[in-house]
Amino acid sequence: MRACYKADVAANKREEPFSPYASDWGAFGPLRLRAQTVAEGIYAGMHRSSRKGAGVEFGGQRPYVFGDDLRFVDKRSLLRHGRLMIREFETETDRALWLVVDATQSMAFKGRGPGSKYPFAALCAAAMARVALASGDPVGLLVIGGDGARALPASAGREAFERIVWTLASIEPGGDWSARGAEVGHSFAPIHARARRGSNVVLFSDLVDLPEAAAHELGSIATRGRRAFALQVLSPDEIELPFTHHARFESMEGGVVVDADPTLARQSYKERLADLREAWSRDLVARGGALVTASTTDKPVAVVRSLLLAVRGAIA
Amino acid sequence: MSVLTGLALLIGLFAAAPLAAHLLRRRRADVIALPTAALLSKTPPTVRRRSALEDRSLLAIRVLSVLLLALLGATPFVSCSHLSLSRKDGASVAMVLVIDDSLSMRMKGADGKPRFERARIAALDLADAAEPGDSFAIVLAGSPARVALAPTTDLVAAKGGIKALAPSDRSTDLDAAVSLATDLLGEARQIDKRVVLLSDLADGNSAADVLDVPESIALWYPVADLEAKPAPNCGVVAANRVAERVTVAVACSQDATAPRKVGIRPVGKPDEVASAELLPGVASVTIEVPTDLEADLDVVLEAGDAIAEDDVAPVVVATSGRGIGVVSDAAAIHLETGGRPPVEQALLALDLGASVRSLASAPEHEGELGQLAGLILDDPAGLTPEERGAIKKWVEHGGILLLGLGPKAAAAPLGAGFGELVPGVVRFTPGAGADPAGARADGVKPESCGFFGESAASLSELNPRGRVTLEPVALEGAEVSCAFQDGKPLLLKRAMGRGAVLVTTLPFDLETSDFPLRPAFLSLLDRFVETARGEGSSREVAAGQAFSFPGASDVTGDLLPIGQSEPIKIIGNKLAGSVRVDAARIGRYRFVVAGEAEADARFAHVAEAELDLRPRTIAPRSKDESLGGEARKLDISAHVALALLALLALELVLRLVLSGRQPAETAG
Repeated sequence: MRACYKADVAANKREEPFSPYASDWGAFGPLRLRAQTVAEGIYAGMHRSSRKGAGVEFGGQRPYVFGDDLRFVDKRSLLRHGRLMIREFETETDRALWLVVDATQSMAFKGRGPGSKYPFAALCAAAMARVALASGDPVGLLVIGGDGARALPASAGREAFERIVWTLASIEPGGDWSARGAEVGHSFAPIHARARRGSNVVLFSDLVDLPEAAAHELGSIATRGRRAFALQVLSPDEIELPFTHHARFESMEGGVVVDADPTLARQSYKERLADLREAWSRDLVARGGALVTASTTDKPVAVVRSLLLAVRGAIA
Repeated sequence: MSVLTGLALLIGLFAAAPLAAHLLRRRRADVIALPTAALLSKTPPTVRRRSALEDRSLLAIRVLSVLLLALLGATPFVSCSHLSLSRKDGASVAMVLVIDDSLSMRMKGADGKPRFERARIAALDLADAAEPGDSFAIVLAGSPARVALAPTTDLVAAKGGIKALAPSDRSTDLDAAVSLATDLLGEARQIDKRVVLLSDLADGNSAADVLDVPESIALWYPVADLEAKPAPNCGVVAANRVAERVTVAVACSQDATAPRKVGIRPVGKPDEVASAELLPGVASVTIEVPTDLEADLDVVLEAGDAIAEDDVAPVVVATSGRGIGVVSDAAAIHLETGGRPPVEQALLALDLGASVRSLASAPEHEGELGQLAGLILDDPAGLTPEERGAIKKWVEHGGILLLGLGPKAAAAPLGAGFGELVPGVVRFTPGAGADPAGARADGVKPESCGFFGESAASLSELNPRGRVTLEPVALEGAEVSCAFQDGKPLLLKRAMGRGAVLVTTLPFDLETSDFPLRPAFLSLLDRFVETARGEGSSREVAAGQAFSFPGASDVTGDLLPIGQSEPIKIIGNKLAGSVRVDAARIGRYRFVVAGEAEADARFAHVAEAELDLRPRTIAPRSKDESLGGEARKLDISAHVALALLALLALELVLRLVLSGRQPAETAG
């Protein structure tokens, strides 16, 4: 299986002219097996829909209002009490899950972690897909990065998981998207068009080099009964800034170059990183979502569980 | 250089290795990729800077050590040529370095260096080899030969003098230089006396006697490579413009057999306005230039011969615009052949390039005189006070007056004398020529008439019918340039201000004497015109000759050497009532005499003799190896090894200092 997976990746790997750094899967590959393992480690009970409508289990009565389907008028109540009442039923509905994975150049950064950020994010995304598909929810995928965005429509079933895993594994992170705001806007169009009320959108990214358009698009998705969540994935080097000597630091996107002594700049760096997280979290919570942060050294099971809890908590 | 030497020197390439390693290491350590770099604040790189300084000093020491190691490996095989001096029993030496600074020394040798530079280096080698008690003097062999440094035992002064020497465009005068050097050595107390000749020996006089010095002095020619070899070379020796025609005279060495292109271009411009081809063996070519071209011009010979500096020369405008005025009573002077007065005919026959203007009377206004470079008054019947005053002022400002005194001058009315031009009373006395018997002749003494040169002999049988006698006061302050047998003057020269008055005691007619028919008369006019055109000296000289300014108080000027855009300031030297300016370089000279700028430029061109590159024969003993020679090898291994040890010690000290500083930095 492992050899087969590698062959698939190699066959579908395209030339990436923008990527000086190759992604390092490290302990996160092969993706399919790892995603299944992670998903199995999570208790994922069936979540019930709060939406009421046609179904098999009685959910109560309510007064008739103009326009209600006359097929659901409770005749017995009408005959007994002389009032028009409507019977309601609870139904198990599919809640579509949209995974948005950041595959830009910065996600290829590994630092001192077991692998780079993109494989970690891909693993978490695949595990989330597995859990959702097991619950019968359709899962869609949008990958931003490389030489363009790639999207898979939301679908359910065993094949959906295979398609998502294959797509995530075949992408090599690359490209400087920090100034490609318009392109990011276009990339979110399939989600805008297809995500229905009750859908959940989860962004897997480092949230460092994304253009402002990404935050704007995510905010605009979190409307009409849809919710947006984000998982920020960082390398331990990015979280702790463990360097000791003065050096020239170059960002992987945006062309930022800073000459700095890490020992002197560490405190302010951490404060700015916390500010960045706080800003995203505030924005998402305001729209009914949540931000989960993770390091590539964290256990993926724990990270996905936290993400699921955040989603369920938001739903509850 | 042997293979072993080459291999040893190749080790020197390893000097680049630590440098490259250092740079590579620094670059890798310096740059870190971090996606969140935008969240970092810039901080001053104090620590890095400090370490970089320390690295550099250590790095420099190591690189130098590698280079010295390579040199140490190669020193047994490296030959450093330098001139050395052999002494007789270790005795002190008195040396006069005769250094040739002539134009031909600008020719480059096989090593690409000009010969003058090689001569200078050889002179410095000799100064380095000198010991206390040795005396040095420097004589320059560029014409005129001159002493650049009087005999001295101060070696520092000698080296300074040698370093200050510069090449010139002069011709060569080896005989005078060697003679001068011999004279300087005559006063030396040292037993070992040497004339060291650093010259290419090309003095344009290759057929002359063997160059040698008295037996008591050694003539040493230490650098045989300096001797001139046959080489094709041509130079522009004259370029004169008359209206739109420029006549270019070119002289070539015997080996120049290829045709050359001659071009004319304005000064400072690269493009030629006219050109012509000069075939081998042809000495001059005439090129037409646009008539309305007023700019100063240079003539340029096509490059490609041995000496580049003589391929360009300034074009001299033949007429300066000022002519020679002649006042002669044509009606009174009877010529059997008819025509103009003898003095005018003689001037025209000489074809001196000066315009001759016949004047009815002596000018009495400065404006008229300002048009003249020279004025000839042939037996004037005195001068009015106005004429006298104007002429005197004109002479003092540089005019040259030739005054032929005769019976009319002696008969000048009262108050119409010559004043300060010829003080005293002018009297005309009949001479032996008036004696019908012809018993005696009033010839001149040729030995007193050096002014006329070789033609002075033609005056020995001069037998005038009468001549003017002057009072003693007229001779005061004047120079008798030619005298009769009885000692009375025939020609007087009186300097007045910046000009001069030439007075002959014979008029220029044929009634009084046949003086105008004799060759000496033509010599007189030739010298007069030449002097007048140059206002005291010639406007055009060969490089090495001098411009002279008789009677001038101070002279300054600018020299614009050929091929340069910036002029060089020059100052004249006062010498015996005259100011002289050596024309050491080919080019244009513009002078300011006593605060007044001269209207026309003066020119220096290359001397024709300097283009003859055949070497002069010197005495064979001058190349005797017992005098000294070039030492081929120099062992500097010990010095290099000492330098290596010093570097090692320096590195150790530096490391100790750095190790002491490290904890302090860490703590800070």
